Amino acid sequence: MVDNVGGSSSNAENSGIREQDRLLPIANVGRIMKQILPPNAKISKESKETMQECVSEFISFVTSEASEKCRKERRKTVNGDDICWALGSLGFDDYAEPLRRYLQRYRELEVDRGNSPPKRE
Amino acid sequence: MVMAEEEESGVSIQLEFPKGRVKKIMALDKDVKRVSSEALFLVSRSTELFLQFLAEKSAQVAIEKKRKTVNLEHIREAVKRHQPTRDFLLDELPPPSQPTKPDRPTQPAGRPKLDPPPRGTRRIDLFFRKPELDDPAQAQPPENPAQAQPPENPDQDQAQSPVPVDES
Repeated sequence: MVDNVGGSSSNAENSGIREQDRLLPIANVGRIMKQILPPNAKISKESKETMQECVSEFISFVTSEASEKCRKERRKTVNGDDICWALGSLGFDDYAEPLRRYLQRYRELEVDRGNSPPKRE
Repeated sequence: MVMAEEEESGVSIQLEFPKGRVKKIMALDKDVKRVSSEALFLVSRSTELFLQFLAEKSAQVAIEKKRKTVNLEHIREAVKRHQPTRDFLLDELPPPSQPTKPDRPTQPAGRPKLDPPPRGTRRIDLFFRKPELDDPAQAQPPENPAQAQPPENPDQDQAQSPVPVDES
């Protein structure tokens, strides 16, 4: 079964935002779901599309919370601490610890690659 | 190098989702001016964790209902059982049986697809910001006999927020 259906099933209200740019790719979503589900489980195409909406909404939700904090503190750049704070504020406390570890790992690799410093405000 | 990672044996921070797409979704919020690479990384990773969590819970619901295929109703039930998730997602999900059956049931208004809010307006989830966390843990509530009836139905969909926003 091939799920390569172009994202034109619904008319986009915002002419400037294409449907496929508003959602994460369905292939990535489906792959992550398969990794979590039992081997014999199946996922309907409708479920994958709904999950696309759910995760995109999650991104917007966290982003909105973090940017509100930036606005109140008169800062213009959303940084990693804002995201961690937003997740805690929205009730996703369980994510804080694994994200902290991943961020630490991320910073180590940034130093190893000799890239520009991660904190640019 | 030996790293004590509980979740993954092979320590890899390769992200599943394309960064450019995540950045575009974040930029849909007009209040967002700039996003650091750390923030982009954390949002991508937390979205993966959220998807894994929701997929796992949906699979549990499917197993409880003796189903092999995860469908929309299982996702909806999984969303209901987690308070932080239901706060921002339950109203956004398609109504029950809406996408599969073209004939309309008794429900007056149907929203088959999530429509992005028009530019300039603020999303409805602003109303539910900082909700009362009844159960901080992810404990599943006992079986609810009124499963068919969603407990919360706000009347305002995508309404303009009457609360004044301080803009300096």
